[in-house]
Amino acid sequence: MDKRNNKKVIIKVSDLSKSFNNNIVLKNINFQLLEGESLAIIGASGSGKSVLLKNIIGILEPDKGSIVINDTEMVNLPRNLKEKLLLDLGITFQHGALFDSLKNWENIIFKTANKEKTNNKQGKQLAFSIIKQLGLQPEILDLYPSEISGGMQKRVAIARAICGNPKILLFDEPTSGLDPVTGSLIDQLIKTAVKTIGGSAITITHDMASVCRIADKVILIDKQTISWTGTPKEMFNSANKKIQEFIKPIDSEIFF
Amino acid sequence: MLDIFLDILGTTGKKFINFVANIGHFIIFFGSAIYWAFKPPWYFKKIFQQILDIGYFSLPVVGLTTFFSGMVLALQTYNGFTDFNSESTVARIVLTSITRELGPVLTGLMVAGRIGAKMAAEIATMRVTEQIDALGTLGTRPMQYLIAPKIIASLVCIPLLVLIGNTIGILGGYVIAIYKLNFNPSLYLYATMEYLQLIDIIQGTVKAAIFGLIISMVSCYFGYNASKGAEGVGFATTSSVVISSVMILTSTYIITALFFG
Repeated sequence: MDKRNNKKVIIKVSDLSKSFNNNIVLKNINFQLLEGESLAIIGASGSGKSVLLKNIIGILEPDKGSIVINDTEMVNLPRNLKEKLLLDLGITFQHGALFDSLKNWENIIFKTANKEKTNNKQGKQLAFSIIKQLGLQPEILDLYPSEISGGMQKRVAIARAICGNPKILLFDEPTSGLDPVTGSLIDQLIKTAVKTIGGSAITITHDMASVCRIADKVILIDKQTISWTGTPKEMFNSANKKIQEFIKPIDSEIFF
Repeated sequence: MLDIFLDILGTTGKKFINFVANIGHFIIFFGSAIYWAFKPPWYFKKIFQQILDIGYFSLPVVGLTTFFSGMVLALQTYNGFTDFNSESTVARIVLTSITRELGPVLTGLMVAGRIGAKMAAEIATMRVTEQIDALGTLGTRPMQYLIAPKIIASLVCIPLLVLIGNTIGILGGYVIAIYKLNFNPSLYLYATMEYLQLIDIIQGTVKAAIFGLIISMVSCYFGYNASKGAEGVGFATTSSVVISSVMILTSTYIITALFFG
């Protein structure tokens, strides 16, 4: 429980460090995600944002530090318990990571179908109920991921993440490669998921407009550490040089 | 001079350590794959798809290879033994060569080229596009969902392919013996049946099962541990075919030596 606002801590990352072959990527990362909070992680390409996400979901093991999700320590957790914990999470990967050999509807309901038996009709209905929120047409359900555009693949990946209404959502660049209208739709969806089902979300993004739309709190990763934390509003008033570099394009857009 | 020597020693040592580490990783992978292949739940749809791919769709290439091998064998044996008036041995040599060696080895090599490469490329692509990572986060074990069906299907299909390939190979020899060399069909068939030994069929089937294990394990291992994008997929595919083929040719000698040595 966070003492300041009585909200439950969903994810707590403490002193996390990660390196690859003596190349330090993350050093002493500390932050927490509260219940009902939407957190955006920003940073330059190659700053370690995706590595941080992969540590949180257990694909990578940190060199040191702790990751607690819903009061369970993830680091060194036995694999079967880790898998159980991950079932409560909805995750999208940077490039979608849809399964090529499965149709889009099978991709979307993959986790749900693993938990409970669903026939094709029920599965397609469930998938359709999700994709219509994302502005996708039902025709894409029977196609394979390779038969739809990159933007559509991204949305199918998001549909897979939110299928089953998980309470913790982790998005790795959900709006990259999408047109502004669809990007805005995805942002709205993330916001809705957080607000209406009482979920919590971590979104890794470079899209500052998206940050302003979805985030309650923003973290900047620079030079292996968290160099700035604040709200989107504070971000625009920040004197932090790196933050200013990030928001500069948005300022220009506003002036023109 | 000492520096050069130390450099060479260092590089060799590093390569040796990497080699030993890779063998260790392969053994762990092997054990894990076997464990998951026998642990429920089994993904029957995936197993059936693999059986279709490995077994049914490999039939034409295996059939064609063994048929022509049987034909060549009959012709060459006849040419080699004709001076000794030993036409009757053609049936025996075709039968023994096909059932003991050529059937299993040719089938193994063909499947390694066709299926091994496909398995490695498929899994490697899934690895470099984060699909395997995604599987793990969706409540599915990649070893159980991806690797185990391939191992099970290979173990089932390759022995069957070898048995079919053997029959087609013997048929190839028969076609040449009867229609080109003008042997008596009844005598040829009688000689074939007379020399047909159960131990040859058992040995061929054992070889086939081991080849199945080699092809699926090696291909899945290289695919599963692929890295570096498209280059990594290419490396995994090439390595799986080369290593599988070398292991097939090495193990066929060892198995033959164990059975008949």
